[in-house]
Amino acid sequence: MSASQVETLQHTNSHSPPRRLTDGQFALLLLLPGGALLLGVVLYPLVAALVTAFFEQSLVVPGRTFVGLANIVDVLTVDFPRLLWQTLVFTVGTTIFPFVIGFALALALNTRIRGAKVLRGLMLIPWLVPGVVVSFLWMWIFNANYGVLNALLETLGLIDGPVAWLAQPGTAMTAVVVAKTWQSFPWMMVMLLAGLQTVPRELHEAAEMDGAGTVRRFFSITLPQVKGIVGLVLLLELIWNFQHFDIIYVLTGGGPAGATQTFATAVYETAFHGFDLGHAGALGLLWMVLLMGLVVVYIRFSEKGEGK
Amino acid sequence: MPAYPALDTTALSRRRLLQLIGLGAGTLTLAACVPEAGPAAPQAAGTAAAGAKTDFSFASWSLTEETAAPAIRELLGQYADANDVEVREVSYPYNEYISQLTLQVKGGQVTGAVHVDVAWLGSLAALGKLQDLGPLAQGADYTQAGLTASQFDGVQYGLPWNIGAIGLIANSGLLEQAGIGDAPATVDEFEAALKDLKKLGGGVVPYAASTKAAQLKDVLIWMETFGSPLLDGGKVTIGDDASVEAVTWYKSLYDQGLIAADVDRFDARSLFAQGRAAIYDDAIVGRDAVVSESPDKKLADKLTAWSRPVLAAGDTPRALVWGGALAVVQGEGAETAADFARWMTSDVEVAKQYFAARGLPPATESALALPEVADDAFGAQFAERITATATTNPFWVYPQYAQIETVIAEQVQAVLVGSAEPKAAMEKAGAAAQKLVD
Repeated sequence: MSASQVETLQHTNSHSPPRRLTDGQFALLLLLPGGALLLGVVLYPLVAALVTAFFEQSLVVPGRTFVGLANIVDVLTVDFPRLLWQTLVFTVGTTIFPFVIGFALALALNTRIRGAKVLRGLMLIPWLVPGVVVSFLWMWIFNANYGVLNALLETLGLIDGPVAWLAQPGTAMTAVVVAKTWQSFPWMMVMLLAGLQTVPRELHEAAEMDGAGTVRRFFSITLPQVKGIVGLVLLLELIWNFQHFDIIYVLTGGGPAGATQTFATAVYETAFHGFDLGHAGALGLLWMVLLMGLVVVYIRFSEKGEGK
Repeated sequence: MPAYPALDTTALSRRRLLQLIGLGAGTLTLAACVPEAGPAAPQAAGTAAAGAKTDFSFASWSLTEETAAPAIRELLGQYADANDVEVREVSYPYNEYISQLTLQVKGGQVTGAVHVDVAWLGSLAALGKLQDLGPLAQGADYTQAGLTASQFDGVQYGLPWNIGAIGLIANSGLLEQAGIGDAPATVDEFEAALKDLKKLGGGVVPYAASTKAAQLKDVLIWMETFGSPLLDGGKVTIGDDASVEAVTWYKSLYDQGLIAADVDRFDARSLFAQGRAAIYDDAIVGRDAVVSESPDKKLADKLTAWSRPVLAAGDTPRALVWGGALAVVQGEGAETAADFARWMTSDVEVAKQYFAARGLPPATESALALPEVADDAFGAQFAERITATATTNPFWVYPQYAQIETVIAEQVQAVLVGSAEPKAAMEKAGAAAQKLVD
């Protein structure tokens, strides 16, 4: 065997080390299934829906025509101010009221009262009931012609005839906010109670020894200690309520005469009852832009919390 | 153990942001380029070679209704057993039905037989997925009125199942208590009768007219009564004096408490069944619902059909054609679904059984001649006083019918709740409807 043959054989037999994935490649591989799923079931439908904002497109008439920003201009000049105001009224109302009720109950349950655990469990029930069921329950309570509330008020002599709670612009939004508040306050209560339970009792005891009263201790100890969780639940509720659909839709359908219409119900009504995908897309686009603002605030808030 | 670099999840550089925006814009462009499927010409049913029977779907809003569902399920079971197939049920409540069905048919999730209100044929036909049932209709003795009501653009998209009209149904017991004898002939007499009924007290709603947006289309027939044609040579006339006068009158009934807030067809039936409404608008299909729901066992005998009052003596009373038809959506099981649709709508034994269960007028000459159908006193009265002068809604011919109805209903509701003046609201409704018609 010649020297060159030996060299060739050695070269052939030599094992190249197995090819390893870099950390970056491995991370990419792990992200691939999730990414594909996200792209297929979230991103693509979202983008496809938003693209319709630039077309005149009906759900029943085939084909579509590119109209540029016309749908967005239409929405901005006709419906947007009213929808924005109503969405804000609903969002703020259904965030503040459950927060106040939830916080008050959390403070009460954080004291050493008997049956606190049972009460906490019972109060969670409204939150566990599905939104559609909550809506039907309140629809029955508020119904003008056979509702429980009218019957009760008439029995007490507070009203002479039936009040159309859900059919008058002045009362319909209040009714919707009441129903949503009833559903939301337990979650707020649980979260705030969890926050309150992290406040060291020693702080309260020390302050009490220094002569601080209940109100002073609440503002100087309790509130600063739970402000992180308070901020978080308020922000999350704002985001969820900004997108809320089921209770409004089932209870009033956005009526009467659009008085309880929010972005969520307006998009649905425009697309699936009005069959107008173009304007629904435009509404959705503007709604998403506003929602992104809230999401950015939430992310900043979370980052700040993590930083601490 | 390899050391993994810490991922920075918070920092987003300007360059990265631009890259993301670029990616987003690219995706938007790609999505915009996705082609839209065009309409397909209707495929004729019954022309393909008949093969073995296959499973199919049957969609109907009636399957969500307690009073209607058992009778329909019984017939579905009979067909399934006789042909050794499975019939899958698809159902949505009436007020949601057309929206959901449109979505499902467009997306290809629903094929087979679908129960449709004849008002919706235009909207569904525009999707290009309904079969032409013309060949199937031949040889069955459907009434001409039924066949015409189930056509769109000259194509027989539906087989008529129950064809009639929507009119006023009254409780003669309450009318008697209020001292009302004959049916009021004019709008003024009608209003006077409502005032007499209101004096009964006890929470009785004189006229449970629709006031919820979902059924406010009922106001269109009052606009026609007041003299508005609604549509004249492609021009929407809502906003004319007659339509404004009609809505002003409707609003005055609302303000006087002669009609109630928060009422749609289903609320009206409920109130009427409980003896808490004296008059309401419905098709004959409502009889079954109110009688079965009522605690008054004699309510069936108290039902009386009223011709809609006219503006001036001598005018023709208005009524709106109402009807259910069965259409067939192309796709899986369509062949058997078409056979089922013909059986369900034209078989005399089926008609007999269905009439016994629900009292709905059949749509074939032979079924109408059945003694039990011919001897139905309320049915005959309804046909004579209401169906005889019924006309279709002129907007039905437009695929955007549901949209047109929605824009009008919204404005009428705005008037009722006091957010808009009748004239301005009707002009707005007319302009919006015109945009859709054009």
